[in-house]
Amino acid sequence: MFRRNRKTSDFGAEIEAHFNFETERLREEGLSEEDARAAARRTFGNVTQVKERFYESKRWLWWDHLWQDVRFGLRMLTKSPGFTSVAVLALALGIGANTAMFSVIEAVLLRPLSYSNADQLVSVVSMWQRGGVTTPFSCSPPDFFDWRDQNRSFSSMFAFHTSERALTGRGDAKRVRLVVATADIFSALEAHPIVGREFAAEENRKGADHVAILGYSFWQAEFGGLPDAVGKTIELDSEPYKIIGVMPRDFRFPLRGSDAYVPIGFDDKVMTQRGAHYLRVLGRLKPGVSVAQADQDLTAIMAELRRLYPDKDGKWGVHAERWSRALVGDIRPALLVLLGAVGLVALIACANVCNLLLARATVRQRELAMRRALGAGRFRIVRQILTESLMLAISAGAASLLLAYWALQAIVYFGPKDIPRLANVGLNTAVLTFTLGVSVASALLFALIPALRSSRMEIGGLLKMSGSSTREAGRARNVLLVGEVALSMMLLAGAGLLVRSFAGLRSVSPGFDPEGLLTLDVSVPEAHYKNSLALEGYWDRALSNLGGLPGVTSVDAVTPLPLSGDDWSSSFSVEGRNIPEKDQPSAELRWATPNYLRTLGIPLRKGRTFTDADRLGAARVLLISETAARMFFPAGDAIGQKVNFGARGGYEKNEGEIVGVVGDVRHFGLDAPIAPTFYVPLSQAGIDGATLVIRGQASPAALGQPARKRVQEIDRDALVGQPVMFETLLGDSLGQRRFYMMLLGAFAALALVLAAVGLYGVISYSVAQRTQEIGIRVAMGAARSKVLSMVMKNGLGLVLLGLAAGQGMALVLHRTIEGLLVGVSPTDAPTLLVAAAVLLLVAILACFVPAWRASRMDPLVALRFE
Amino acid sequence: MSTQDRERLELLQGTLDLLILRTLIFGPQHGQGIARAIQQTSQEELLVEHGALYPALQRLEERGWISAKWGISTNNRKARFYSLTVAGRKQLGKETTKWKRLTAAIGRILEAEEG
Repeated sequence: MFRRNRKTSDFGAEIEAHFNFETERLREEGLSEEDARAAARRTFGNVTQVKERFYESKRWLWWDHLWQDVRFGLRMLTKSPGFTSVAVLALALGIGANTAMFSVIEAVLLRPLSYSNADQLVSVVSMWQRGGVTTPFSCSPPDFFDWRDQNRSFSSMFAFHTSERALTGRGDAKRVRLVVATADIFSALEAHPIVGREFAAEENRKGADHVAILGYSFWQAEFGGLPDAVGKTIELDSEPYKIIGVMPRDFRFPLRGSDAYVPIGFDDKVMTQRGAHYLRVLGRLKPGVSVAQADQDLTAIMAELRRLYPDKDGKWGVHAERWSRALVGDIRPALLVLLGAVGLVALIACANVCNLLLARATVRQRELAMRRALGAGRFRIVRQILTESLMLAISAGAASLLLAYWALQAIVYFGPKDIPRLANVGLNTAVLTFTLGVSVASALLFALIPALRSSRMEIGGLLKMSGSSTREAGRARNVLLVGEVALSMMLLAGAGLLVRSFAGLRSVSPGFDPEGLLTLDVSVPEAHYKNSLALEGYWDRALSNLGGLPGVTSVDAVTPLPLSGDDWSSSFSVEGRNIPEKDQPSAELRWATPNYLRTLGIPLRKGRTFTDADRLGAARVLLISETAARMFFPAGDAIGQKVNFGARGGYEKNEGEIVGVVGDVRHFGLDAPIAPTFYVPLSQAGIDGATLVIRGQASPAALGQPARKRVQEIDRDALVGQPVMFETLLGDSLGQRRFYMMLLGAFAALALVLAAVGLYGVISYSVAQRTQEIGIRVAMGAARSKVLSMVMKNGLGLVLLGLAAGQGMALVLHRTIEGLLVGVSPTDAPTLLVAAAVLLLVAILACFVPAWRASRMDPLVALRFE
Repeated sequence: MSTQDRERLELLQGTLDLLILRTLIFGPQHGQGIARAIQQTSQEELLVEHGALYPALQRLEERGWISAKWGISTNNRKARFYSLTVAGRKQLGKETTKWKRLTAAIGRILEAEEG
């Protein structure tokens, strides 16, 4: 209600003025000053009381009424515990799901990265343009230097790559996670060592680069947190590094943190390696510069580089994106879609409670009418209903926190590891504020219709409980119910689509058989193996040592391993084809031991596979995948062609004659396209790191630790990872999809339950209202089956309407989940039909219970009802 | 003659609002002025408890029947002046009719008893 805001002091001044007038008047009548003043006060009465009344009217009355409403609300809510608990539970489910989902969004998308002024950090990537498709890619050192030196948008820019090295010289080699970065990394991140110093610029150069800054927890673990660690030396891959500093406890870069940071150590030839894309680049924006401006700036520089170096940069562009955004690339739209879906669950819960309130409002009509008749204003009644609704919603919000807490534990446990910061979810202030907001908003939402209706009621009609107003309430309830069913239908069909898509992916063949295979990452220190012969010797020993392990049937080595997240691609030339460097085709490269293809069950299509004779010193040979053969040798003449990839990845050139065509492998995951691939014999390449693939007789998992020990025995300084089953890698590759499917599935299940409860409630209520009528029908001889079908028809009519509406909405809104689907159209008819069938089945159950009860009704009891 | 000497009629519940509205029809007036005007116009028959006046003014203001602003009185004092709004004028018309009907009815009853 509108109320002028008048201060108490203003009121006091008015009364003071009144006394002055009155005193003056009385003095004119002949009284003394003193008498006049006394008389004025007498005529006025109790001044304080009047002021108090003014004060009350402003504030305390409002508070009093609120308190009255709350107490009255509490009485009403405790008087009908059934209504209250169903309403609170339904809301708690809806709000809890929203709270959990929002926690995920908050931790993954919204929470600022834990670097100072993290908003200024921008990720810069090269963009590889081929065949009309642009793919983000790592950057090459010369490009990075040109961007860094020519841009006008960044105050600093650094490049890095992550790697793993072995911590040697302290017993068995330990895995060390390493960030290899240009010297200005810490000034760009605005983070500084707590002990020691940062990198100096000259430490960027090869030869001066053997210094290390330790991460805090590595420092604690290896040096007990003693400051005198600085100045000591650690061995990484058997090479000494002088420790020059330690980073603070809360410093983590990249997001998961690192054990140590070392300078990148470019040699003199670095500026010639414009085609070597292996760096990640981050920049810090100057204040006031937008990401778009920086992107334009870099794009202009890149255009010039393309002109200057058409051979190396001709097909490359550049793209700048806020780092926080780049980190969650395609995770972001998926999470937002899920947030939308969970919002629908909340809407269904609100519709449910709204329905309950409407049913109850009909029962409470007389009470409300009585209050109106006794002088309560419309506003007061509306306020009463709002207060009760808020109490319901806020208790539900509190209860939802418990549900959300459990849900979050499940999410952290089952959630995929490759969603950054997912493990940091928690019920923090931001989340609690969100929950409160959702609670209040839902209270307003579900109280709106009942409150409006009650304020419109005519007192006379109410006391008589006119039929028209109950009919109107019935209509509102039916509309809500149809809406609930429609939304549930949509969610259910959406979840169905994700399940179908996931099931489809599961049945996609990866191109090999991962069953029963154990994988073991091994990398050896370069310092121990200065040439290809030494490396060949190491791998030979590893394979024969493991082969002698009881229970092992075959051992092979490959790098990079399919589904491991690592890959290696390079451009290549074909003998006899004269193609300028920039137009050279590019393909994936794998290095493997002779028996690898057979062990993984990758079929040979043509020619031969590797043999034990394909060793260092023998003729260089290559294998080609079907897709690559088709792409690069469409005439079918791949075998016999000579191909050269140059010397990247190992000591030797990756070149040779194609001797066989083999089956395709889905290296990047079941949902990723097949990449054209070449295989090089591991021993012909001089490779210092690979994954051992072990097949065992009985339970391969039990072979893991003994196998690991055997490998460590060959060279204590070699880094041997933990054994992982290949099937786990396969499962992890679908981790995000499984996660999204599980979440949407859970939301759909919630929606289904809520819709069923809503349906049950509405039908039960209408049966209760029609008790007399049904009783008369039965008494007049209506068959019980007739009563049953009458009630069922009543409910199922609404359900069918809802299903139809839901199908329509699904056809439109399912476009939003198109990005989450593989091999399934968002309007997939079988999925829609199955979802409708499931919902219908549940609806039949929900209607059947009250309908059956109605049909069993004793006509005598029914007639005596009321 | 001082005002306390005469015994006056106390106002009936609910009539104060009507009298305030009526008084303001002659133009803006401050609180004490309104009280004086009611007393004088009723030829000193009606007793307006000044204390009750201000809550009543407050109430009328909130309902939008009168509006108020601070101004300077004829004898150069600051005072809060009330004036009738359009809604207040309408309300006055309604209340006046109601009151006239009520008094006429009561009058008829009283006369019937006498006769």
